[in-house]
Amino acid sequence: MSEYILRAKQLTKKFKNGFALQNINISVKKGEIYGLIGQNGAGKSTLLRLITGLAFPTSGSIERFGNGNPQEIAAAQKRMGAIIEHPALFPNMTAKENLEVHRLQKGIPGKEWIEKVLKLTGLYDAGEKKVKHFSLGMKQRLGIAVALLGDPEFLILDEPTNGLDPTGIVEMRELIKKLNREKGLTVFISSHILSELYQLATVFGFIHKGKLLEEMTKKQLDEKCRKHIRIKVDNPAKGAMVLDRYLSAGDFEVMPDGMIKLYRYLDDVRSVSAALTKSGLIIEHFSLSGDSLESYYTKLIGGAGNE
Amino acid sequence: MNNVIRAELYKLYKNPAFWVLAAGVGALSIFMHILILTGWWHMTGTPFDLAGLDGLNGLSPFIVPLFFNLFVSTLAAYTIAAEFSRNGVIKNQVMSGNKRMHIFLAKFIVLSLGAVIIVIVIPLVTGLISAGFSSGGNLFTESGLIYLSRAYGLYFLHFLCFTATVLLIAVITGEIGKTILFTLILSAVMFAFEKLVTVSRIRFLYEHTYFFQLDVAFNQFLSAGDLLKSIFIGILSLLLLLYCGITVFQRKEIQ
Repeated sequence: MSEYILRAKQLTKKFKNGFALQNINISVKKGEIYGLIGQNGAGKSTLLRLITGLAFPTSGSIERFGNGNPQEIAAAQKRMGAIIEHPALFPNMTAKENLEVHRLQKGIPGKEWIEKVLKLTGLYDAGEKKVKHFSLGMKQRLGIAVALLGDPEFLILDEPTNGLDPTGIVEMRELIKKLNREKGLTVFISSHILSELYQLATVFGFIHKGKLLEEMTKKQLDEKCRKHIRIKVDNPAKGAMVLDRYLSAGDFEVMPDGMIKLYRYLDDVRSVSAALTKSGLIIEHFSLSGDSLESYYTKLIGGAGNE
Repeated sequence: MNNVIRAELYKLYKNPAFWVLAAGVGALSIFMHILILTGWWHMTGTPFDLAGLDGLNGLSPFIVPLFFNLFVSTLAAYTIAAEFSRNGVIKNQVMSGNKRMHIFLAKFIVLSLGAVIIVIVIPLVTGLISAGFSSGGNLFTESGLIYLSRAYGLYFLHFLCFTATVLLIAVITGEIGKTILFTLILSAVMFAFEKLVTVSRIRFLYEHTYFFQLDVAFNQFLSAGDLLKSIFIGILSLLLLLYCGITVFQRKEIQ
């Protein structure tokens, strides 16, 4: 069995007015929480529509649960749950009635599933209230309840915290983490709020103007955003030895291009430069570096915008 | 496909538009039958009149596409088109793991069921009850019942073609207003064809559409050849319309 729940290759979607997505390659492994980050209009929802089979790619391929045959998408859809853009609900029905429609069309036996997902999403007490009288947050919760109906293996959520209050956002995050932890649910979640995704995702994809700019694990993202001193000397090996021996600065790394990243002494750069020069090394570059998540993202899409 | 049909039936049962239309048509039908049976309204030359069933003259408006299209298009608009635009629930259905062909066919079956209840069953039942009461059962002669069975059997087949057309319009437009408008335009164009077009070739084509056959179904006398021709046109049109509908729905991108 494939370890990948989703694999998209060279995925392109073209509309009359241009490309919505261009050559997207994306892979989601079983058990991951994949966070797709992008501004409004970056192509997130279009990508999710292609993944869920609501729309069709202009070119490229999508493999769901190891099966890339577009004719067999229905089998994959049975194992998925999704909210795309906004929760799709019947306004004249109650929460239970909405879930009953989806239970019937998914062919899920037993009405106990309805109570289970209502409890899970905190809507058990919604009673006979019709959805048209629901708050935005309640609708969002019901949308997630619909997506969770039938115990899917792969949950796709497009901006799931839209309309939720701060408490609702925290509860939603905890719910997704719990499902991921306890049931091994794989989650693909899109948002334009980086700080929110950061607390949830284990892998990140940055999308901008229909292109996937970068994909990285949370560890890699943390590394990229960690504050450090960037040092370039004429002899990197000796430079590393100096840092280790004279400054006991074990927390550093030498990059393949010879650049040294030092994560300590951020408040005492003078000691670092003094130790290096005293050892006869010529300092070619010396700077403080590291971004906040937001500034890293802004730099990333800013760079792309200048292309 | 059973799952989707059950879900569609549940949605129809819960749809206020269906109940409003059913109640409205029921009230209208009873009112018209009473007007005719009490002599307040005289109708002559209707297919029922010609078949000796003048007690059922109140059914006449319900077999005219220009009239019944209002009910079918409204039903399709608020059950099918609304799912594409107003609440977007079609997304959940398409992602539910059912083949699009099955979803389309389930929608056709249940829309047709709803439309048949509203346009055929309710007027016919109210008509038969009212006429039965007023004529003391004299209406239900053997020839009358044979005529009604043949006429409504044939009408049912061509009516299914009409619901398939309206469903196709609803799927293509995906909007409530446009579904009603385009169905109305189609019915008006067909009505104009029937009344105004005399060019033989066009007339020939029109006479081989289910629209014309909706009318033919109620002819008092129909030869075996004409009956077979009508059935053939109905079945062929239905298959063609369903094929077009399935193809359009399978290629439709859901927004």
